Amino acid sequence: MEELEENSGMIKKSRREHRVLKPTQTGFSSPATHYAEPRIDLNEVLVDNPNSTFFMRVADTNYEEYGISEKDVLIVDKAITPKQNQLAFVTTEGKFEVQRMEVDCKEEIEIWGTVTYIIKSVL
Amino acid sequence: MIALVDCNSFYASCEQVFRPDLKGKPVVVLSNNDGCVIAANKEAKALAYIPMFQPVYKIKKELKENNVVCFSSNYTLYSDMSQRVMNTLREFSPLVEEYSIDESFVDLSGHSKSQVIETAYEIKHRVKKYTGIPVGVGVGNTKSLAKLANRYAKKLAENEGVFVVDSEEKRIELLKWTKVKDVWGIGRKHAVRVEKTGAKTAYDFAKLPVAWVRKNMTVIGERLWRELQGEICNELTILPSAKKGIGTAKSFGYKLTDYGLIEEACAFYIAEVADLLRQQGSAAGKIEVFLTTNSFSNTDKQYRNRTIITLDTPSSSTIKLTKLALKGLRKIYRPGYRYKKVGVNLFNIMPKDNLQLGLFDVREKIENEALTKAIDLLNDRYGKNKVKVATVGNREKEWALIKEHRSPRCTTQWIELLEVS
Repeated sequence: MEELEENSGMIKKSRREHRVLKPTQTGFSSPATHYAEPRIDLNEVLVDNPNSTFFMRVADTNYEEYGISEKDVLIVDKAITPKQNQLAFVTTEGKFEVQRMEVDCKEEIEIWGTVTYIIKSVL
Repeated sequence: MIALVDCNSFYASCEQVFRPDLKGKPVVVLSNNDGCVIAANKEAKALAYIPMFQPVYKIKKELKENNVVCFSSNYTLYSDMSQRVMNTLREFSPLVEEYSIDESFVDLSGHSKSQVIETAYEIKHRVKKYTGIPVGVGVGNTKSLAKLANRYAKKLAENEGVFVVDSEEKRIELLKWTKVKDVWGIGRKHAVRVEKTGAKTAYDFAKLPVAWVRKNMTVIGERLWRELQGEICNELTILPSAKKGIGTAKSFGYKLTDYGLIEEACAFYIAEVADLLRQQGSAAGKIEVFLTTNSFSNTDKQYRNRTIITLDTPSSSTIKLTKLALKGLRKIYRPGYRYKKVGVNLFNIMPKDNLQLGLFDVREKIENEALTKAIDLLNDRYGKNKVKVATVGNREKEWALIKEHRSPRCTTQWIELLEVS
């Protein structure tokens, strides 16, 4: 049965374990046993739809006005259509670009996806 | 009803998703070692003089003159994009049969008949939106009708990539449009036989008496015949049947004379096929190893040979299989030749559970199994080939395939992400 689930992909097993914590203490069992929760998994938080989500690296300082710096990584979801003021990931003249969605856009653009998060290293 | 969803020029489409500059331009994907054209998009197919499966060196001039963009195959990317497409299809149905890397049957029995057309368009739309991959959708009562409907959906522009056989009129329209030789499952020999009766289209074929079909095309032909009438004979299946033969052989990036490098490649391939073998819970009873020079070369001395090794007890242990395969390789290797390819095939594959153990095998088997399991776990966690048989070595660059024009593995490798500026 386990094999079937794995191969058919019908049931997606979360990697986070939600069951009651199995005691690991040899002496007193933990008072936290029934309160333990799985640790936060950024994939779950930042990626709504893994099948339509792609990561893109920013190569220069062109997008400082959007709070995007060089070497940041953008999380782009193709499933989401950008709303006004959101950051659209677009293609114009055969190139990828980031643009803030305006009400009336003059340029010929094609929307590729929507930027959902910006990953920054501040080290 | 059943939908057959098929990605348009899948490999080329995968490349184009990440290259907006290539929109509307001819794109081809080359085989391993950049030897032949294995995939072409619509624009490249329109250039009649770029035949598929042609050696690249023969059409280099044409490719260049027409500004055809060539990619080395990037199977890592195609595999990931395929999974994205398949997972998106699973939003429509719990039962999806992955038929190939770019084709799936989707069970739509949960959708009411009046919704099916809408669903078919929604599938096309959603897969394109989520993944960037364009697909065609054919829907029918049976797999065979869905497959033909898919072909019709794509070939006839006004169908806009979707065709649903939801009425008798549409079934007849589809069958009348489809030529006998284009029916999925009718081989060339059978097509000739059917055409000799005067039948030209799938419709004519479906009108032949069932007795004639059974007599001339066996029960498989009869099933197909029934499916074209709308009677389900082939159900959707989820699990692929265990493979009867597993093998791999790739040309070296360079012609090799050094035994050590050939040995490395051979051990590398054994590790790959043994892994597959274990994943399907099987063991192999025979290993074939073969070695060949470049038969296309007019200047190289030619040599090719193969050997088959029979195991005392079938095994799936990389260590044991490597040991035996290398023994075979030593036997057939002759110095002084420039080799092009080494390959391994596993035969007599059987489920591991019903193995008959030889009298002295038990101890060795148990020891080996625990070790193999530990190695698999480590490699699964830390990356392919992190733990390997020493023979595999680390000179892969000196023998592995040339992939000069491979695109970045931008969905699986953090250091190969696409850049935006």
